[in-house]
Amino acid sequence: MHILTLRVLDRAVRIGCSDPAAQSLVTTAYGSMRSGGGEPDLDYTVGREGVPATFFIARKGRERLTAADDGRFLALFDEDFAIEIQKLRRDLYFVHAGVLRRGDVAAMFVTKPGGGKSTLCWALLHHGFDYLSDELAPVNLATLEVHPFSRALALKKEPPGSHPLPPLTPRTSRGFHVRVEDLPAAVVQSPTPLAAVFFLSYAPGVAEPAVRRISAAEAAARLYANALNPLAHRDDGLDGALRIATTHPCFELTTADLTPTCALVTATLERGP
Amino acid sequence: MVVEEHPKRRSDVSARAVQEELVVLDRAGNHIHQLNPTATFIWHRCDGRQTVQAIADEVAGAFAIDPETAREAVITSVRRFAELGLLDRTRD
Repeated sequence: MHILTLRVLDRAVRIGCSDPAAQSLVTTAYGSMRSGGGEPDLDYTVGREGVPATFFIARKGRERLTAADDGRFLALFDEDFAIEIQKLRRDLYFVHAGVLRRGDVAAMFVTKPGGGKSTLCWALLHHGFDYLSDELAPVNLATLEVHPFSRALALKKEPPGSHPLPPLTPRTSRGFHVRVEDLPAAVVQSPTPLAAVFFLSYAPGVAEPAVRRISAAEAAARLYANALNPLAHRDDGLDGALRIATTHPCFELTTADLTPTCALVTATLERGP
Repeated sequence: MVVEEHPKRRSDVSARAVQEELVVLDRAGNHIHQLNPTATFIWHRCDGRQTVQAIADEVAGAFAIDPETAREAVITSVRRFAELGLLDRTRD
């Protein structure tokens, strides 16, 4: 059994892999968070069994999960892992968002699934941004810093030709997973002060990107709708969304072709509040 | 909607002011809403004691608009609050 030990948001995670395929998948996704051993806070066993071979995910305290294919396996693992990490770090306010750093500050990118968040993050990494996460934004509400969660960047489909994937990017039934070591940018290792929040809006055929500042009330409502653990926080999490929205400029970003969209994001951040 | 109705906001929704707007969290309905300044003004007056007409009179004064426009704004807002399940079901 191969053992993968991780350090995630200052918690120890152990993943025992009884099968090379399962090991390859979790290592692709989470290998950048590899760290030394020690008593784990979260302990998984993953592998494949049976005929035909079926992936499984085992963790003490929950029923065994099974998946017929690699994409489903990784999706189930991601989901359970995200929930368990939130339980281990209830003090952090988790938003479903991508987070990148430019200079010394972080920008958060929020949208519904399939809204182009990861594709935009992938593109921005080619234009002077560094990587914290493309999926989870764990926010310390006291300091308003965002912690890194550097899982592989996951794309449901190939990005436009202007920003192609690296050769040999791992692919599952559900999409592509760009390993952190293959990203065209640095990976941020420490919490970073948040500077702005962008809510993405995508419509095919839009000619040019556009950005408009939105009110704090609108931003708070949108953040709350994308919060993953609001009930772990004061006032059912409404306080947290308000704190973020009232202390940072928030924007609606209508995306278009990636290069001008990235330029607009950069210009908006450089303009400041 | 009858202008003599007394709309009453539900007591179990959380509302937080953000500048001139309001964020309303309906946990039971699993929704969050953002109210613009006019809707916020009307929401605060949905206390079960004021009629739609009385609220409209206040809106007309506060926003310096004609009574008919104020009445339509209040009716529209209160109807929308009801559709979203934010009001108590009361009988007048």
